[in-house]
Amino acid sequence: MLRFALRRVASAVLTLLGVLALVFGLVTAAPGDAAALAARAGGNRAVAVSPEALAAFRHLYGLDRPVAERFLTWVWRAVRLDFGRSLVDGQPVTLRVARALPTTFALNLAALLLACVIGVPLGVAAARRPAGRLDRISGFLCDALFSTPSFVVGLVLLLVFSGWLRVTPLFADAETGLRGFLLPVVTLALASLAFVARFVRVCVATALADPAALAGRARGEGPSEEIRRALRRSSAPFAAMGAALVPSVVSGSILVERVFSLPGAGGLLAEAVFARDLPTVLALTLLSAVVVVAASLAADLVTAALDPRTVREDVPAAGGVAA
Amino acid sequence: MKKLALLVLALFLPACGVRGKSQESVVRRRLEGEPKTLNPILATMDPEQIVLALLERNLLDYDEKLNLVPGLAEEVSDSPDHLTYTIRLHKDARWEDGTTVTSRDVVFTLTALLDPKTPALTRRALFDGFVKAEAVDARTARVVFSTAAAGRRDAFNLPLLSAAAWAGADVATHPRNRNPLANGPYRLGSWEAGRTLTLVRNTQYFGEKPAPEQVIFRVVPETAPAFAALQAGDLDEMRLIYAQKKELDAKAGMAGAPRVVTFDELAYSYLGWNNRLPVFADRRVRRALTMLVDRESIGRNLYGGLAKLANGPLPPAHWAWDASLTPWPYDPKAAEVLLDEAGFRKGPDGMRRKGNLRLAFTLSLGMGSDVQRQIVELAQQSFRKAGIEMAIQPLEWAAFAAKMDAGELEAWAAALNLDPNPDLAVSWHSAQVPPVGLNAAFYRNHEVDVLLERLKTTFDREETRALLARVQLLIHDDEPVTFLNIPLTKWGVSSRLTNVRTSPYGLFLFWPGAAGWRTSTTTGPIS
Repeated sequence: MLRFALRRVASAVLTLLGVLALVFGLVTAAPGDAAALAARAGGNRAVAVSPEALAAFRHLYGLDRPVAERFLTWVWRAVRLDFGRSLVDGQPVTLRVARALPTTFALNLAALLLACVIGVPLGVAAARRPAGRLDRISGFLCDALFSTPSFVVGLVLLLVFSGWLRVTPLFADAETGLRGFLLPVVTLALASLAFVARFVRVCVATALADPAALAGRARGEGPSEEIRRALRRSSAPFAAMGAALVPSVVSGSILVERVFSLPGAGGLLAEAVFARDLPTVLALTLLSAVVVVAASLAADLVTAALDPRTVREDVPAAGGVAA
Repeated sequence: MKKLALLVLALFLPACGVRGKSQESVVRRRLEGEPKTLNPILATMDPEQIVLALLERNLLDYDEKLNLVPGLAEEVSDSPDHLTYTIRLHKDARWEDGTTVTSRDVVFTLTALLDPKTPALTRRALFDGFVKAEAVDARTARVVFSTAAAGRRDAFNLPLLSAAAWAGADVATHPRNRNPLANGPYRLGSWEAGRTLTLVRNTQYFGEKPAPEQVIFRVVPETAPAFAALQAGDLDEMRLIYAQKKELDAKAGMAGAPRVVTFDELAYSYLGWNNRLPVFADRRVRRALTMLVDRESIGRNLYGGLAKLANGPLPPAHWAWDASLTPWPYDPKAAEVLLDEAGFRKGPDGMRRKGNLRLAFTLSLGMGSDVQRQIVELAQQSFRKAGIEMAIQPLEWAAFAAKMDAGELEAWAAALNLDPNPDLAVSWHSAQVPPVGLNAAFYRNHEVDVLLERLKTTFDREETRALLARVQLLIHDDEPVTFLNIPLTKWGVSSRLTNVRTSPYGLFLFWPGAAGWRTSTTTGPIS
């Protein structure tokens, strides 16, 4: 188990470096540089731009240095948690990310919890009677939610509840308190809820159709015991689902943040990409990648603890065949 | 259950009364993006300029007719050879901390602006030929240049940095960049990152005090929530798209409904042609392309009739615009004749060729504008009927801008915004082709070059007007790009705001601009 964990950590570090090098390469190779974009003032203005000022901008942020040197310098500083200054506003990147992250984190965590609180029981209930009325209705609603872009859901909620009915504020800030976050949380939760409910439904339905469940029923297990065992047997896929959902807690949702005028990490990343603000892009990528890798590592370890066959090369895991 | 219902009521009811009595002297404004800096010499983006317009006076300000009028400076005079400018500061001009605005601040600002380490992207070029700045006395500064330039007075539409506040650190990364010292009608009260900037009345301001006590700028990137907020009274102003204007027009006269303000700006939309390419080298082809685009229909259908036809490189809002130039008409038949004359004849497949050269090209556009995309699609249909093959390539804005700056685009759709006294050489002089300048059309006309050079040293207004008229005529005849439309700018303004004036430079970037606004309960300026 320890060897397995160490091997996964080592591969996670390599993955992180690979992701950073890839993102650095992509943003550097993309047409457009931060200095020229800043000079364009976000549009097309017929104004002479001084070459000296452009050179000063590039020198200030080290854009005039060789690409490899810039990457290695960034990695070296990042190891010491110095992510440089943003090319957009000259502020330390750490500060910009630290400002954006609490909003994103709070919103997405609350949304995830809400999605699980509603989605898990809904999925279980639907799985108990496959093709029953609840299964069909929840399936239809989940498909509808899944296929509707969350910014459309958000916009509709905003216009109805904030613009028309005036029961929630249009903007979230200190003045409006938690009420301002209600609609964004619901919007984000609805997007995850469809996924959670359908995933849980499939896992639990599969577990209930398992011969082990049949044996349990033959032993006279009641419905609640049967569901408890089905949930337990589904814990490995649930861990994988958690690993897939957790990264959204830091990466945020660009469009939902825009609709609700919330300054989160999603909007920050979009702005940084469009402005070719490489230090901010890299810092946010690193953060997301760390969470993705950590969540996937945690899921692997949980799965390994629940089903040790997954880490033993001599024993086939469930559904697998030993070589 | 009862308790739960009460809790829900407690949670939601306060939303119905967000605005209280104390909000009456507060103006709530929209920013489409957050300012990146409030350092006035580094600021380039609209949100920054809009906020700074209330925080800082310029040495000279533009009035609503775009004349330069006294601001922080009572007077800016130049020597007969136009090489030395003497700035006489207003005797009462003060920073928000009560200290006097002095010539030392002028010298400090210019020194910082022209420091090779300072990335003053858009202001620095205005001071080409700068030799030195010196303080003559506490209120008088002298600025010396090595060459005379006709547009130089516009460079003194310049805000100042306080030498005392900004000294001692690199201005590019100075902490004051987010907390500037104001000398204008308002000072920065607070800045909640990504959400709001609150300005409060500057008690030290030397001029007429603004009526509203506070201005709250809220960052609202999306137009739909902003429009809902405007209608609900949570915002007092915002730029409108045509559909929103129509919606407000339908509510005109209803109590409390926001009103619509429209005005001409110094801007126009166009289709750019890379004149270097053989397909665009002949001006008959370029004229034909223009004559194939039904710009009146575009103005009618896409801009709801709120757009004028562009006839050249200056829009009607500019003082030297030549109204006598008739825009090229929409005339597909005449266009086809021009294409035939230029040697591009229709082949058996219906497409035009001149020898082996097909009349085919790719037109790029930056993503984001639906109207621009529709214009391009209409042009594409019209070109196809005339035997011209145009592929459309939407590009992410940064990629689009980079290709334009590098002169790599074959054809493109864009809108151009001009300054109050634009230097046309930047866009049309043959020496200003990429990567040096903005002449992405690679337009070359020797006479235009000569005239643009002369304009740089012509100080007489009527002579300037005559030269600009000739430049407009030549460019109109050459049609290096297809000048499309000048859409009217549409703004939604709360019914409680009064004294809202407009200028060709927008609602905010002239004096007094938004500093002169009043709310229904703050009827007069505070003296």
